Amino acid sequence: MFELIRSVRRHRRLLRDFVVRDLKGRYIGSTMGFFWSIIFPLVNLAIYSFVFRLVLKARWSDQQPEEQTILLMFAGIVVWSAFAEAVARATTTLVENSNLIQKVVFPSEILPVYLGISSWVNMCIGLVFVLVGAVWYGYIDPLAAPAVRAAPGDPEYVPLALGSSLVVLPLLFVLQYVFALGLGYILSALNLFIRDVSHLIGVVLTVWMFATPIFYAPAQVVKAEYAWMLVINPMHWLIQAYRDVLIFGQWPEGAPLARFAIVAAATFLLGTSFFNKSKQRFPDLL
Amino acid sequence: MSTNLSPEASTVPNQATKSSARGSAIYAENLSKCYRLYNKPSHRLWDLLFGLKTYQEFWAVRNVYLDIPHGSTVGIIGENGAGKSSLLKLLTGVTKPTTGSVEVSGRVASLLELGAGFHPEFSGRENIHLNCSILGMTSEEIAERFDKIVAFSELGDFIERPVKTYSSGMYVRLGFSVAASVDPDILIIDEALSVGDEHFRGKCTNRINEFREQGKTILFVSHDMGAVKSMCQWVVLMDRGEVLEQGTAEKVADEYLKRAHARGNERLSALNRGSSEYPRWGSGEVEVVDVQMLGPDGVASHVLRTGEPFSIRLRWKAHQATKNPVFGLGIYRSDGTYVNGSNHHWRDQPLEIRDVEAGEEGEVVMSADKLALLHGQYYLTSFLYDHSKAAPTPIDHREHVLTFEVLDPKRQQHGMLHLNSRWSVRRRRPGGDLSGESNA
Repeated sequence: MFELIRSVRRHRRLLRDFVVRDLKGRYIGSTMGFFWSIIFPLVNLAIYSFVFRLVLKARWSDQQPEEQTILLMFAGIVVWSAFAEAVARATTTLVENSNLIQKVVFPSEILPVYLGISSWVNMCIGLVFVLVGAVWYGYIDPLAAPAVRAAPGDPEYVPLALGSSLVVLPLLFVLQYVFALGLGYILSALNLFIRDVSHLIGVVLTVWMFATPIFYAPAQVVKAEYAWMLVINPMHWLIQAYRDVLIFGQWPEGAPLARFAIVAAATFLLGTSFFNKSKQRFPDLL
Repeated sequence: MSTNLSPEASTVPNQATKSSARGSAIYAENLSKCYRLYNKPSHRLWDLLFGLKTYQEFWAVRNVYLDIPHGSTVGIIGENGAGKSSLLKLLTGVTKPTTGSVEVSGRVASLLELGAGFHPEFSGRENIHLNCSILGMTSEEIAERFDKIVAFSELGDFIERPVKTYSSGMYVRLGFSVAASVDPDILIIDEALSVGDEHFRGKCTNRINEFREQGKTILFVSHDMGAVKSMCQWVVLMDRGEVLEQGTAEKVADEYLKRAHARGNERLSALNRGSSEYPRWGSGEVEVVDVQMLGPDGVASHVLRTGEPFSIRLRWKAHQATKNPVFGLGIYRSDGTYVNGSNHHWRDQPLEIRDVEAGEEGEVVMSADKLALLHGQYYLTSFLYDHSKAAPTPIDHREHVLTFEVLDPKRQQHGMLHLNSRWSVRRRRPGGDLSGESNA
């Protein structure tokens, strides 16, 4: 693991070139440039809110006003997209850069790293919109608590706010990054042994997205007696923490966050060691 | 087993490695590379998970010993699939050896293949940065050399475009410019240069000569003996992953030609067995049964050498009586260029075959003391025409009856034909006498 980290550190210039190049390609290459990174999540949001809110009449809970539902979904989408993008792109990155790996002595370990950074930058743009929404509905145009009191057992209405808990945000970034990078290392190397992985991961990520409370409240899963899905889903713990911090101004629950940290660290350890072990064979596998 | 190949490590000067102590630029011992070939992709998975040995081994490089001293220009030759590229990948550290070790002292720049090490989506400018970073250069070093690289490549405005839009010539130009400008201690060139135009090739040759004068080590890989011979003092001949022979260019070149000769014969025999698909026409009273090419020792061969005696023998058989059959031969280059044609009748002293009876058999031989054809592949067409009529009419015309190859060991002349030419020089120094020289 340390060997890999050292190598990435040594090639930080190269890493920077790749990140800059990737972001440039995203924002400068196309005419709309920068806006695409906002338009995508917004369009996603529009589609999902049409389907879930208008057609299926899904509500976060009886206590949460509709505008907040959109914001909660949006925060989930932004975080999930960044994670899924980092993982999915990392899976195919070795194959895509075979020209470099096969022909020159290339530090392939920087590839998943740069994809993670690039998607993180993208996520930050989306998170700014989430924060703006939280400020708008929390302070500028606060939403009143609904007149109907919660039924027993229902979650209480929580007002939108921003608080000192924002200091946890960097920790969430790091944990998410470590988790995504660990998965990226495992999958990118595995994809060279079994090319089906790149197809499989598309399916898995879609299933995983809908299994994570992004378009619905966790409480609804519990109500539907699928609580076990939340127990085994690390991304749920992470996204909840993001929502607590960004939208409700609360401190995230400690236990799920600690669990996430353990899962992320384990994934990272596994990923780096597998990647490191199979790295010598990459040129032969491509 | 120490491999010191990462760019960072190799830029450190005077490493206390065994090889630098010995004064070798490249030192390889017992070097082998084995690839695993799986019949099905899933077999690779079973191997990975449970260690099931479901693969076949393919040894691309076997037990190679190399000791290349600093400042030498070494050629590696071998036919396609001889393991040259696999060896280079081992030497540059792209792949790891299955057994043995490689030690390389100094910064290595390689031109392995067209566009190797380029990212197709990146612009020329970005690729220069990318390549230089991979070679372990710092930002300052890159900035310092950037303009030089662009100028040398002559790419102009294309430097801002993605390299995927480049022509193959432009790829090579950019690749060579980068490799040449990083100031490598060891330059590895893999036939890539043959793609550029004359002008750029000239520039490259100049640059390579400069390297040699600076005492840098150059590794040149090719299957063209002529090119290797003109550039390298020391040549390594590879075949099926093994080093067959290494030594001075002269010595190895001979061995290589011998092998090429044998190979060519095998291949052309197979080719000629299937030559019946070419057109054949005529009235058929007399049949050309077979055509053979004979080398200087009178033995049938499909490979001849420039400047050596040779003959072509036609065997014929008559099925019906014929008054005046005339045999001829046409020699064509593989691209269809008609090189030479003659028959035994149209000469200063014509030979005539009069009144052939049914059932008769015989031979007609054309021979020459020196083969004037230069390096290349050629084919023969045999003519058998009846000259007793007003205009010759075909009896048995066989197109493309035999394919043969000419090897030119000397490679002194270029083109299609060897001319027995002489050169002479005359010069007069100011105030001096007229002097002159000529050769045969």
